[in-house]
Amino acid sequence: MSDIARLRGVPGANAPSARSVLLTIAGKEALELLRDRRFAWIAALFTLLMLVAMLLGWQQMQRIEAEHAAAHKESYAQWRGQGEKNPHSAAHFGQHAFKPSSPLLFIDPGITPFVGASVWMEAHKQNEFKFRPARDATSLQRFGDLSVAFVLQTLAPLIIILMTFSAFTGERERGTLRQLISIGVRPMPLLGGKTIAVAGILCLLTLPFAMIALVALPFLPDPDIGMDNALQRAILMAAGYATYLTGFCTLSLAVSALAHSSRAALVMLLAFWVANSFIVPRTMVDLARLVSPTPTAVEFQHALSEARKANFGHDDTHPEYLRFREETLKRYGASSVEQLPLDFDGLALREDDERGYRLFDRHFEALWDSYARQEAIRSLAGFIFPLAAMQPVSMGLAGSDIGHHNDFARAAETYRRHIQTVTSEDLIRNRKYGDKDYKAGPELWAAVQAFDYRPPDAGWALRQQGFNLLILSAWTLAATLLAVYATRRLSPV
Amino acid sequence: MLQAQELTKRYHDVLALDGLNLTVAPGEIFCLLGGNGAGKTTTINLFLNFVAPTSGRALVDAIDVATHPVEAKRHIAYIPETVMLYGSLTGLENISYFTTLALGARQPEERLLEWLVQAGLARDAAFKRVSGYSKGMRQKVGIAIALAKNAKVLLLDEPTSGLDPQAANEFAGLLQQMKNRRVAILMTTHDLFLAKQTGTRVGIMQRGILRSTLSTAEVDSADLERIYLDISGNRRAA
Repeated sequence: MSDIARLRGVPGANAPSARSVLLTIAGKEALELLRDRRFAWIAALFTLLMLVAMLLGWQQMQRIEAEHAAAHKESYAQWRGQGEKNPHSAAHFGQHAFKPSSPLLFIDPGITPFVGASVWMEAHKQNEFKFRPARDATSLQRFGDLSVAFVLQTLAPLIIILMTFSAFTGERERGTLRQLISIGVRPMPLLGGKTIAVAGILCLLTLPFAMIALVALPFLPDPDIGMDNALQRAILMAAGYATYLTGFCTLSLAVSALAHSSRAALVMLLAFWVANSFIVPRTMVDLARLVSPTPTAVEFQHALSEARKANFGHDDTHPEYLRFREETLKRYGASSVEQLPLDFDGLALREDDERGYRLFDRHFEALWDSYARQEAIRSLAGFIFPLAAMQPVSMGLAGSDIGHHNDFARAAETYRRHIQTVTSEDLIRNRKYGDKDYKAGPELWAAVQAFDYRPPDAGWALRQQGFNLLILSAWTLAATLLAVYATRRLSPV
Repeated sequence: MLQAQELTKRYHDVLALDGLNLTVAPGEIFCLLGGNGAGKTTTINLFLNFVAPTSGRALVDAIDVATHPVEAKRHIAYIPETVMLYGSLTGLENISYFTTLALGARQPEERLLEWLVQAGLARDAAFKRVSGYSKGMRQKVGIAIALAKNAKVLLLDEPTSGLDPQAANEFAGLLQQMKNRRVAILMTTHDLFLAKQTGTRVGIMQRGILRSTLSTAEVDSADLERIYLDISGNRRAA
């Protein structure tokens, strides 16, 4: 019997199953990529940048957390330890409110460096945030810092492009596409196999960092946002990034299937990457500002000061003060403030505060609405350039976006108003009009509980980012459909 | 086994193949001769369903390639001028990849090696990366894939172009082995000597038309050359 005849009995010579074909193609693709020296360099660079970004993020997060914990305790202790003094002076003494930290800030610090992490709560004024490393900037101006988010949003897509731009053009140029199609391999399993290979390698690159984070998590003190909340957010964030990177993978494969040459595919994909990562975010910031302008910090404060002139504050010659005094006397049927059953100074402080609340609400709501409109305008670009949708999703889930910032600012303002109410009510009820020496004691300061802010849960964050997630999913779906279309019309000749 | 029925391919205004009728029986080597643009490669591409016919049918084991490409391709092995393989993989990894995709199951390494050795590749070469292979070595991997597939049909497109005489001779020997295995072989070539040496029949094409079909047993080399030159219009130039 000849050797050939002996070799005729071939095991498994049946129609290949789709699973077997997919895994075979994925395995070969992964093996080729892993053997590519260029890939080794890219992977090493990615690993290095991730390590540096994680270390920087971790360091920054620990520092902020330590500062917060110390300052928060000290601030409230100072409030409690004021000794005897006029309640309104105590309201002026005020307190700091510190934004709670989240372990996810080391992945995406978001707008924290721009909007600050602490607010000074004092009488009469709704203050802006303090301790801002980058003053006078909004979330829209933030991009380019080395963080884990930056690496995943900007560098990971570049790695995907470099891994996949020649996925189909290379097969065509080498002639292996002819070989594959001649043995009956259909284009769709090729697309599936290549996608699985790239996804597998990306997992290989990113999983060690996810493992490090998971191992480190139990050693952290219970985060302000709660461990369950942090974990749920981390899982959602991972799903968001998976969607974003899957979209890049399928888009890159689609372009490779459509392009006439590997060089053309690379040029097209790099152009898209530059636009997505650098040009569009900047352009959309300017466009959003044009459509929905926001004042600078100086303009905002000036406008607020001007508006506050309508309130009387401590000016007992202000027409509004005089009008309020007349109304109060009329209401109580008294001819002078001395005849009033309550302390008129306290009443005037409360009235001025309440007028101030309406004024602050109007101005700050207008400012935040303007930021929200800008964010929405920028998000629309995500239908084509997905970073515009991915960035807010990442920041939203990390708790470092404008939504979380506003939620905290509102809670801090509510607390500030509570201090005002407690101190003014004490004056109204316990002080005699004209008693310059009236003082309240520690029991009044103790009546104001420490500021205890619980950040919103993961469900809230998810709802806030619903539109962006929808955009991101739609973009990924469109990229996948394009890849399917391009692969189906793939021709070996 | 291999049949073309009024097979026609038109690219816009160019008639690349015009009503080809052809049958290649099991154990037969049919060599298609002709100049550039005669329609040889178009014929191969149609049998591989790389392009769709304008009219007519290409049948492999009575299966219409255009309507049932996957079923038809199960019987086909294809060896182009240069067998294209993955340079970063070894010869063994390449054959493993292609045979797993073709057969649906991973074959044992020893069996894969046996096929490679049977095709004439040195055993130690099988463990080396294909990027260092010569053209002849790549052709041997192609033949090994055909052996592994147990293909009933072998389509060869200018397989000996650029091979040195020894490699071409070895390749001709391998074709004889496949022929003895009752594989139907359709080969395009410019090499009249190879066609005469290995072919059972020879078809001479010109401008998409099969002008003449000859039995190699009935013509000597000189006659074959003369007929070829007459048909292809190169008599005077030759």
